[in-house]
Amino acid sequence: MTDLPTELSDIVGARHVLQRATELLVYENDALPGYHKRPRLAVFPGTRDEVIAVVRALHRARVAFVPRGAGTGLSGGALADDVVLIGLQRMRRIISVDPAGRSAVVEPGVVNSSLTKAATPFGLHYAPDPSSQSACTIGGNVAENAGGPHCLKYGVTLNHVLAASVVLPGGDVVRLVRPGEDRTGYDLLGAYVGSEGCFGVTLDVTVRLTPNPEGIRTMLADFTSVDDAARAASAIVAAGILPAALELMDHGTIEAVESSIYAAGYPRDAAAVLLIEVDGALAGLDDDVSAVQRICRECGAREIRTASDAGERARLWQGRKKAFGAMGRVAPHLAVQDAVVPRTKLAPILARIAEIGARQRIHVCNVFHAGDGNLHPNVPYNGDDPDEAARVHAAMREIMELCIAEGGTITGEHGVGLDKIGYMERLFPGESLDAMCRLRDAFDPERRANPGKVVPSHRCREWLAAPGAHT
Amino acid sequence: MTSRPATAAELAGMIRDAHDRRTRLRVIARGTWQGCTAAVAPDAAVLDVSGLSGIIEYVPGDLTLTARAGTTVAEVDAATSAHGQWCPLLPWGGDEGTLGATFATATHGPCSVSLGAPRDLAIGMEFVDGTGALIRAGGRVVKNVAGFDLTRLLVGSWGTLGVITELSVRLRARPTVDETWSVAIEAGGGARARLEEFRRGPLAPLAMMEFEGRTLVRLGGNAAFVAASREIVKTLGAADPCDTRIWMRLRQRDPKPRGPLASSALGDPLSTRVKKQFDPRHILNPGIMGEAYA
Repeated sequence: MTDLPTELSDIVGARHVLQRATELLVYENDALPGYHKRPRLAVFPGTRDEVIAVVRALHRARVAFVPRGAGTGLSGGALADDVVLIGLQRMRRIISVDPAGRSAVVEPGVVNSSLTKAATPFGLHYAPDPSSQSACTIGGNVAENAGGPHCLKYGVTLNHVLAASVVLPGGDVVRLVRPGEDRTGYDLLGAYVGSEGCFGVTLDVTVRLTPNPEGIRTMLADFTSVDDAARAASAIVAAGILPAALELMDHGTIEAVESSIYAAGYPRDAAAVLLIEVDGALAGLDDDVSAVQRICRECGAREIRTASDAGERARLWQGRKKAFGAMGRVAPHLAVQDAVVPRTKLAPILARIAEIGARQRIHVCNVFHAGDGNLHPNVPYNGDDPDEAARVHAAMREIMELCIAEGGTITGEHGVGLDKIGYMERLFPGESLDAMCRLRDAFDPERRANPGKVVPSHRCREWLAAPGAHT
Repeated sequence: MTSRPATAAELAGMIRDAHDRRTRLRVIARGTWQGCTAAVAPDAAVLDVSGLSGIIEYVPGDLTLTARAGTTVAEVDAATSAHGQWCPLLPWGGDEGTLGATFATATHGPCSVSLGAPRDLAIGMEFVDGTGALIRAGGRVVKNVAGFDLTRLLVGSWGTLGVITELSVRLRARPTVDETWSVAIEAGGGARARLEEFRRGPLAPLAMMEFEGRTLVRLGGNAAFVAASREIVKTLGAADPCDTRIWMRLRQRDPKPRGPLASSALGDPLSTRVKKQFDPRHILNPGIMGEAYA
């Protein structure tokens, strides 16, 4: 019997199998700072048939694996700890675009923004827009049920995936389809989207494409207190306006952005800014703009700027989308959070987060999807300073406990992965975690896909009884 | 025999008991979907969820609502419309059915295309699986990727994986203007093509339906948006204003939901494995998917 590396090389070609430590170095991280895991080997299939053959070979060898797209995830979901890493970045063909049906079929390695680029000639785009959209892949987006600023109005990945072909860890290929009005059967596609690589490997995805809006109005409202900005965000949503995006950046974030190459012209003396975009039909659009401006003023906005052209709009957005990157200038490490809280509690929770930050003497930079209540309190810090690192981790834990206690959740779009697995038992009772394990077992009875992620394995009732195959 | 639990814990105890004794159960609430459960094993004991009723939490500013599964769609509608909001399910069959049944059957309605189907509106739930385990999924916030998505799994599973006891849903503001037109679409002159263009365009209506030889068009949005939509509608043919309550009448007389057909819903190996994980003894609505039961 041939050994696994040889068998995999026979499938994908020797140059698409990496085994040497120096070659694997780049795959030891994803975009979550502070975690390093060395895969046992990495394999890069280039076609659908190769992906299936690789998964079947791993099945025969009873070897665990981690699927990986561009490695832009922020929860450590794509880290492979001494197991096989299946890199899907060669699977980057856009198989078809159907302008009349407003859909496209793509391979999992297609980059999010490439899909929108392919749809642009038809006046269409792919709506979910994570900040990493210029690098992240559709396969990764499906695995994480990725969001983005415009998900406030347009919905998350789940709402835009129409079908997927998946090779299950046992080697079977299944077709999962979004249930329609007249279709019965379990919503296994809904269960698959957001399963963080624990249910199988995506072979192709059929996505919905969204018509470009007739008009877009992008505004920047600046506030002298975070509390006012948060109240304005809550008030806009409560007033029944559904902006395309409603983002909040606080002073720390504004400073980081304005000091970087991504400077967007945000007012450096503001305590917080709201980046608000309304879009849709031209008819009625300016009424929404007026309503948003009125609410911002009522909540104490100092100034409200409206982007006058596409260039200014892009610049305003660049600061937001590159904010995480801009924080790289501030300190070598960055702790990233993704909690979601009820929208009406934004202002008091931000005040509590500021208290926690002050007490732990850390620098919290808030940049987040205020319209959904999806917080990203990020902390740039020096991980080589053990005292500072300990304070950052203590603060992060306190913030997470706070958000859970206020009726929120631990992750809105980044996924649980490795980073937040410790909070799952705080959020869900044991029977719920066991039920999640059972759903995973239906897809992956041997538990070989992305082991050790999402749900703590000791929470699975029959963990010990299951065939142990986590080599 | 009928059991009518008053709490989720009591319901969980009953299912645990049924699991232990291998008692088959027919899950019902208001009976709105009874026709669809004709295929359920005739000897099944009735488990009536209608006692689990009432809104648990509704914060209008959050645009979310949590209610027990036996709460009717009408009750949710009354509570939310007091704040100018709605859970835009507007399911076929009317508003007398329960929230639990609407989501368990994933019943759509005339506005589902524009405002979201049940799978898009559910943000969390509590349910009891076929072993009697009381399980929480999702949460009460609008964006949530913590853990595997049991909520999506249960929506549309027709009570065969678990009995929903509580639901959290996303709400929306009601459109400022909500009006309906009855249009006699012109036979020629490209009116049909323009109608299609309108349906797909930026001024798309909330709902559109053929009715007694005319086309009903429901427009919703702010005043300027609806005014612009109305102008297009008037170019499609003779248009008469119509009482918006017509949609309720249409929903009530429509026989939908049709119920799960004798389909392959449980035929594929993956669905079979899911079923075994959540209802290993096949006691929940056995036969409803047209599947064989021993």
